[in-house]
Amino acid sequence: MMELDFNFGMPDEGMENDYDVIIIGGGPGGASAAIYTARADLRTLVIDKGLTAGALGITSKISNYPGVPGPISGAELVEIMRSQAEAFGAKFLTDKVVGVEIFGETKSVIGGTGVYNAKAIILATGSMGRTSTVPGEAEYLGRGVSYCATCDGAFFRDQDVVVIGNNDEALEEALFLTKFASNIHLVVHTPDLKARESLAQEALAHPKINVRLGTHLKEITGNGKVEGVHIQPRGREREHLPVSGAFVYLQGGKPITDYLMEQLETTEQGCLIVDENMQTTVPGIYAIGDLLCAHIKQAVIAASDGVIAAVAIDKYINQRKAPRSDWN
Amino acid sequence: MALLSEQDQEQLRNEFAGIQQPVKLIVFTQEFECQYCRETRQIAEEVADLSDQISLEVYDYVADKEIAEQYNIDKIPATIVMAGGEEPLDYGIRYYGIPSGYEFSSLIHDILMVGDGSVELAAETEQWLADLTEPLHFQVFVTPTCPYCPQAVLMAHKMAMASELVTADMVEASEFPHLSMKYNVMGVPRTVINEDFHVEGAVPEHMLLAKMQEAVAQILKF
Repeated sequence: MMELDFNFGMPDEGMENDYDVIIIGGGPGGASAAIYTARADLRTLVIDKGLTAGALGITSKISNYPGVPGPISGAELVEIMRSQAEAFGAKFLTDKVVGVEIFGETKSVIGGTGVYNAKAIILATGSMGRTSTVPGEAEYLGRGVSYCATCDGAFFRDQDVVVIGNNDEALEEALFLTKFASNIHLVVHTPDLKARESLAQEALAHPKINVRLGTHLKEITGNGKVEGVHIQPRGREREHLPVSGAFVYLQGGKPITDYLMEQLETTEQGCLIVDENMQTTVPGIYAIGDLLCAHIKQAVIAASDGVIAAVAIDKYINQRKAPRSDWN
Repeated sequence: MALLSEQDQEQLRNEFAGIQQPVKLIVFTQEFECQYCRETRQIAEEVADLSDQISLEVYDYVADKEIAEQYNIDKIPATIVMAGGEEPLDYGIRYYGIPSGYEFSSLIHDILMVGDGSVELAAETEQWLADLTEPLHFQVFVTPTCPYCPQAVLMAHKMAMASELVTADMVEASEFPHLSMKYNVMGVPRTVINEDFHVEGAVPEHMLLAKMQEAVAQILKF
């Protein structure tokens, strides 16, 4: 008999749903934008997947950010920026955005925790994205390959699965899967986990999670649906793991725009296109930072973009004739 | 033991206080051979108890066969959310399987929507639905732990409420494995429209509309 945790509850009423500005992505671009929009008394929500989801967040040491000789870690620098934005009243929410409604006066952002509305949105999701590059990944998407363990974990009850990734998201999803799967192989392509310490410890200690560090996923195989994966530990022979599911949380170098579901035009490389105010072709929708595939991909450039967008949004929302300079 | 916490009961009482029009819940259940019939019935009872505007009818799928047929119920547990009172109106909103986890909020949202008597959709969608001449049947496959599934369920239920020709079912995938297999569901949310068309994920309204248009074009071809 199948067990089901009966959970009948209303979502946490802590988060409100209506804002002036929603910023998707809380890295240097998003956080800097939030500092300025919050200071301009615009109700600001920043939705971010997690500290180690972004390019700056996973940088171990940064010494060239103007004004911050450091060296400090990228994660620490992002946290300083976020705290600064929070001090001005910006709200931060950890969640993954899966969809947006961008047309019309009221925009909506769909996350796992709820739907949030705003007059303007800043897209600041960076370029740690990827396409399905592992052989078999695209073929078996929805047939054993998944990017959402909380969505699809139930299909793998009492089965063996593999989780591929090294960051907070991968570990959280692997831990979630322990409710359903009998055995979870956590395949980590780097020599160490790149997640917060407490999470890493929890995953390493869990009896159902078998961590394979320094191991690459080479192929996903099956027959109509996933039946196994080929992995290669560094310097060793390929191995075959018989699994029914493969949950992929890898990062790459492409602009992350999947949640836009092709509602905005992109260049061939998948980059978004904006005017000098960071506005896309859709009024009220702005894009900044690495999403634009600018000539220089640096945190300070993203921050600068974020501020340009914030000032433009202040003008857009408050119908100002000229941008308001914030000299204070 | 109650399925709803005191805190949630209180919160729901407050939310339901604003309901303008009567809402009727109908649950189809069975004594034996039904995994979560008992809990589905219980949660419906607990929710209905929280407002005078919400009534509940419970039927036995086998003993009350004619009523099941009247509402086109073909599997259990089944829950209908419809307008109640003097002029009951079935919008075609269905839950097959237990509406637990994230789907509980879908159930509450539907009650509030039906209680409000109106549904919010884009002008383009409303116009297209007004001109619709062919039936559309949505089956939205979900799991209770899927955070994005309620969006897909709500979008389908809104379409059902907005048009007499549209019916929309939430189908809890793990309770109906034969249906999950039939429609190749291994990832949720997956919305199946008229058997042959499907949409993955919780897509924005205009994308769902495009798929609905494809499904209708297919019908009109023949």
